[in-house]
Amino acid sequence: MNPTMLITQKERSALLQNQRGLAWLLAYAGILSAFALLLISNQELSLLDNAQVVYMMAGTVTAAGALIAVIIGADAYAGERERGTLVPLLTGPISTSELLMGKSLGLASAWGIMYLLSLPYLWSVGASGQNLGQAIIYLGLFGTPVVLGFGYLAMALSARSGSVMSSLLSSLIVLLFSTSPLLIGPGLRNSAIGKALDAVNPFSGALNTYDAVIIDSDPFNAQLGRLALVVIWLGLMFVFARISARRPAFR
Amino acid sequence: MKITTYLLAATLLLTSGLVSAASIELQVQPDPTNPSHPTMGDWMHFNSVISNTGTKPIEGLVAWISLVEVTPGKEQPMDLEDWSAHKAVTGTTLKPGEALKTQWPMRLIQNGGYRIVISATDRNNNAVFTSPTLQFHVAQKPVVESTRILPVALGIPLLIGGLLGARKYRGHHKTT
Repeated sequence: MNPTMLITQKERSALLQNQRGLAWLLAYAGILSAFALLLISNQELSLLDNAQVVYMMAGTVTAAGALIAVIIGADAYAGERERGTLVPLLTGPISTSELLMGKSLGLASAWGIMYLLSLPYLWSVGASGQNLGQAIIYLGLFGTPVVLGFGYLAMALSARSGSVMSSLLSSLIVLLFSTSPLLIGPGLRNSAIGKALDAVNPFSGALNTYDAVIIDSDPFNAQLGRLALVVIWLGLMFVFARISARRPAFR
Repeated sequence: MKITTYLLAATLLLTSGLVSAASIELQVQPDPTNPSHPTMGDWMHFNSVISNTGTKPIEGLVAWISLVEVTPGKEQPMDLEDWSAHKAVTGTTLKPGEALKTQWPMRLIQNGGYRIVISATDRNNNAVFTSPTLQFHVAQKPVVESTRILPVALGIPLLIGGLLGARKYRGHHKTT
């Protein structure tokens, strides 16, 4: 088996085949369940259109996915260093590119599982409404580059700093800033600075796409600009991770 | 004679005040597109006409919509926070004979019996004028999709928790 697949298998087993690994999946399911239960227990929320609910669920899945990607990414190099396994990895028969690809595939596997786990939730809140199929497709199309991009950002910071805490904190601050559209109201987002931030924020790009497609039923060609934004975000973060992973901090 | 004159003058002053005070007329009608059997979650619209029937212009007109629940045992004024984003019209001037038409959209948040009324006053008036009330009943909507959401929201965490427990049990058995 080639080294990349070995690393991928190791990452996957750490995430899925031991107790601590499954705990993150339980926490993720807990977040989605809490939101779904809130919908049926709160009268005002239960009156929201199905499309609005599906949009909110897709945004929550993307945010939770990005958060977990940041945690996984922050552990990728700094965690190996703190466990004393980074030097053996770097001196073994595996190139830095293969190591990065293995870590990337492990991250992608985690997101794949989160995405699949979100499908029954999306179905349960949106089956009787509009655009559920589009929601599922666009969550994959836009959520994937956003989530993986944050994972690569955290990996890059992890490789540079050599500290899980430091890379996690830095990545979380960037993530928090990016998810601010979820927290601030439409009034602030409509200001000149709000619109400028929205134009370069990949998370906003994904959210605005979900809004346009799920609620307003806009066509695919109207989303091309935002698709370019999230793909550029993924590309830049991958390049950042690749450059950083060539010389990870191992002391 | 003097007393009569003074009384007449006072009466004229009072009635002239009353005439200028009674210069706002309000009418309200339900929009023809309103649902015939309103249910929780539906939108209703009410169309009002505020007319200046006096001889002086009305300045600084303020008109607002009020909602009262009249369900037996639950009578109360309602906070329009979630019901309507368009709660008032302010700062308008109406010349004599002029009328202002306004539409008041409202989302039906809760089931029950309700009445709405449009009220208006202006900066030079101590009186508040009201339209006739409109009454309507909002039917309850069944709790949304709980039969679909509950199995997923409870089942998936239980399933993952069960897997966790099974792994822990197997791990414990292997070591003992």
